[in-house]
Amino acid sequence: MDEQFKFKKQYRNILIIAMAGGLLISVAAILVFKPGAPRIWANVLLNNQFFLGIALGAAFFLAVHRIAWSGWHTLLQRLPDSMTTFIPVAFILMLLIYFGMHDIYHWSYYEGHDAVLEGKKAWLNVPFFFIRLVFYFTGWITLTWLMRKNSNALISSSDIKYHNRRKIFAGLFLVFFAITVSTSSWDWIMSLEAHWYSTIFGWYVFIGMFVTSLAFIILLIWFLKRVGYMKYIRSDHVHDLSILLFAFSIFWTYLWFSQYLLIWYGHIPEETTYFIKRLENFRPIFYINPCLNFIIPFFTLISLKSKRNLDWVAIIASILLVGHWIDYYQMIMPAVAGDSSAIGVLEVSLTIFYTAMFILVVFRSLSNGPLIVKNDPFLEESMNYES
Amino acid sequence: MENKKYISVYFDDEMPLLQAVGMLREKNENIIDVLTPFPIHGLDRALSIKRSRIPLVGFIFGALGAILGFGFQAWVFTVSYPLVFGGKPFFAVPSFIPITFECTVLFAAIAMVGTMLIKSKLKPDKRFVPVDENITDDMFVILIDAENEKTTLESVKSSLSGIQTVEIK
Amino acid sequence: MQSPIRIPLIKGRKTYRNVTFDILDPMMNKPGKYWYLGISLSSAAALFGGYMIFWTIWQGIGTWGENRTVGWSWDITNFVWWIGIGHAGTFISAILLLFRQKWRTSINRSAEAMTIFAVMCAALFPVIHMGRSLLAFFIFPYPNTRGLWVNFNSPLVWDVFAISTYFTVSLIFWYVGLIPDIGTLRDKIRKGFKKTMYTVLSLGWKGSAKDWHRHEITSIMLAALATPLVLSVHSIVSMDFATSIIPGWHTTIFPPYFVAGAIFSGFAMVLTLMIITRKAMKLEDYITVSHVENMNKIIIATGSIVGLAYITEMFISWYSGVEYEHFALMNRVTGPYWWAYWIMMTCNVISPQLLWIKKLRTNLVFTFLLSIVINIGMWFERFVIIVTSLHRDYLPSSWTMYKPTIVEIGLFLGTLGFFFTAFFIFIRVFPVIAISEVKSVLKIAGENQPKKDYTHGK
Repeated sequence: MDEQFKFKKQYRNILIIAMAGGLLISVAAILVFKPGAPRIWANVLLNNQFFLGIALGAAFFLAVHRIAWSGWHTLLQRLPDSMTTFIPVAFILMLLIYFGMHDIYHWSYYEGHDAVLEGKKAWLNVPFFFIRLVFYFTGWITLTWLMRKNSNALISSSDIKYHNRRKIFAGLFLVFFAITVSTSSWDWIMSLEAHWYSTIFGWYVFIGMFVTSLAFIILLIWFLKRVGYMKYIRSDHVHDLSILLFAFSIFWTYLWFSQYLLIWYGHIPEETTYFIKRLENFRPIFYINPCLNFIIPFFTLISLKSKRNLDWVAIIASILLVGHWIDYYQMIMPAVAGDSSAIGVLEVSLTIFYTAMFILVVFRSLSNGPLIVKNDPFLEESMNYES
Repeated sequence: MENKKYISVYFDDEMPLLQAVGMLREKNENIIDVLTPFPIHGLDRALSIKRSRIPLVGFIFGALGAILGFGFQAWVFTVSYPLVFGGKPFFAVPSFIPITFECTVLFAAIAMVGTMLIKSKLKPDKRFVPVDENITDDMFVILIDAENEKTTLESVKSSLSGIQTVEIK
Repeated sequence: MQSPIRIPLIKGRKTYRNVTFDILDPMMNKPGKYWYLGISLSSAAALFGGYMIFWTIWQGIGTWGENRTVGWSWDITNFVWWIGIGHAGTFISAILLLFRQKWRTSINRSAEAMTIFAVMCAALFPVIHMGRSLLAFFIFPYPNTRGLWVNFNSPLVWDVFAISTYFTVSLIFWYVGLIPDIGTLRDKIRKGFKKTMYTVLSLGWKGSAKDWHRHEITSIMLAALATPLVLSVHSIVSMDFATSIIPGWHTTIFPPYFVAGAIFSGFAMVLTLMIITRKAMKLEDYITVSHVENMNKIIIATGSIVGLAYITEMFISWYSGVEYEHFALMNRVTGPYWWAYWIMMTCNVISPQLLWIKKLRTNLVFTFLLSIVINIGMWFERFVIIVTSLHRDYLPSSWTMYKPTIVEIGLFLGTLGFFFTAFFIFIRVFPVIAISEVKSVLKIAGENQPKKDYTHGK
């Protein structure tokens, strides 16, 4: 009941070496291969967005379950709770984009007259962009902190008021998040192709975030069980997580396909340029995207047995994480770096740096308290959960 | 089952039913069937009922529906009567997906329900008479095979001593 | 086992026998005067609608108000509205089953019945709006002497497959769930035509453990199929608009936005029906205030998603820089149909947000009134989308105005009449609540379990 994750020196060292190594190799790759500023900043944006998405999706997971009076997830809630502690780190990393604005956001600096961009100037200008950025992160950090604080209060106290407050903050977070996840994806990703637009874009990015969070939670559970923690998480709980992973992968595919089908069908040049660019110059990546994010999870997680096998699900979760990284890649790279982009040493090493940093932050937060929220009113129900 | 001799044990709650099933199986009694007003959690395991393969039927027929649906559309538009519609190519894969999906679902659903009805031998029959009219209400019944001499009312009663039953006959 | 802070889903310390008789009561006794009054009114409306159908087919689509350029108006508005309402039934049966929400067991049977009737009402409109309705079979791909096939590229044909599949699967799902309950009915009715009918329809259900096993697995698999089906059906309906190039129609958000709107209006209709049904049939112990509250929560969620979609469309119509998109929005907000737009915004965006207040969420009168407001709002949403984009599109010289005729209004009222008539008949012929499903959650979620006091430190 009171078991606590010990953030062993061994893990800490591996992660710090991975971070340092990733960063050094990235710098070396920049100096040796000279990829050009757009591609470098595109990588920073990609990884910022990818890992922020995992953290935000975790917050969404918790908020939705708490407001729906769901019981089964109670056993593992500290895992997504600690994932949300990455959001402040992501804030600082996103602020760094300021130094690369001109290289990736065409609307922040262009020569000559562009009627379309002129028309959007009220929204797409550097000051307002950063005011919005600060606004998003302030809201996200505050609300996730409030949810986390009340959840952790239930470890020592059994006063039901913390549970009730947690529900209120969950509701507030959902409203704020619903709006800002759309607007932030318009700001940070959709505006990379500033002449283009798609109303479904925000929702499409959001569901991708949620799938990556579920995948990461599953991998966390897999790791913790391997080193001997969380023996009380049974295949029943894994089953429900797999169902969510399976279902939302299909939902992501539905959104991806809707966007593609409607733009393909309408055949309007202003819209189709987006896909033409990706189909002409990034064809393999474009098609690998739905293969990794739909075909693989669909056929590998469809059977009941596969959903209950943690080792198997962990493999699929890893593939999905790679798959959604590729999804962001095909959203960002063609818009920014065009011909000069590729998946090379820089991409791999920078991603390793970010991954290690993310895991470091999560482990630190996780080790701050017991793994179970002792006085959560749904705890017993979660322990005895059968599915 | 209509012509076999059997002993029926009645319960009014599912807890003693599950206990009794466990006890009877320990004593190697041949349980023909257990009739309940609603599905009991844990009964499948107690009776060692193998997991139905209906989902597999659904998957196979769904795949069949997908292939037929997609294939038919493709044949119509590339071989049978190719027409230019709105500038779309003849083999318009994105257009074919919605109908392919619907055919998948339709085939899978009908196949699974059909399998369920056939395997459970459910069919419209106005001469059907239930074992007991209260089974669909609040009675739980175990039907034990009484063909061999070892199984008699007394042997069953003694096996189930200590469990609350309503009637054994 | 359940957490003690959960509210019991079945009140009144019921036994299994109580459940059987409480729910079977209307089928075994004579209806009251309100039932006769209700079904008379709805049948009258249905008959009037029937006459309007005849008049439309006999005289032609000229009896409607549609003309260039408004080729779709009340007919397709009604079609989308009814299909949307049908989605709640599948959502409750299928998606809530996959999310293991036990409270669905009291309402899923009626919600599924509602789906079937709603889809029947919806299917009427594509058939009669064809004009030459007797040639309606043309929409099916059958080998013919002309060597022609249907246009599989068209969303209208996708609709044919989607609606047919949806109707078939919903019907199957509803009936499969009903089989054990018909068994219960069969065993309680002593004799007569009713007994024979239920005996035949129960397909010899005996409650065998193996049969239950297969039944459960089939139900879960049907639920797993019905979930993407429900998403696909309303998405395909939305593609009737989104695949076009008309400003206000061609927008990628339509598929998920329509699905959210469908669940939103569907739940509103379920609430309208259930609040009356629970009172009239004395089923307050099964369809509790807690059920109403849970449905209201789904209404806030889906209503907010709809509101979010509105904001997104508004913003992107400016952001796109396309003057036609911008005009389409301005025309909706300030043009000749501005009143329809503002009814839509008030009913769909503002009013459901009131449900954040717990007192209102658990108030049955407020919920009932709100459910009607929401359905009115959702009707206007489809009207606004269809008519405002059609009456003023790219060419100002073609701009026109649209007004419905009594025939179109009569058709809509007729479908309402049919829907309620069918529902009135349903509640006297089949059990309104899924008897065996309620029994299976009675021990866990019913009021018999001991309640612990969980508020420490106060």
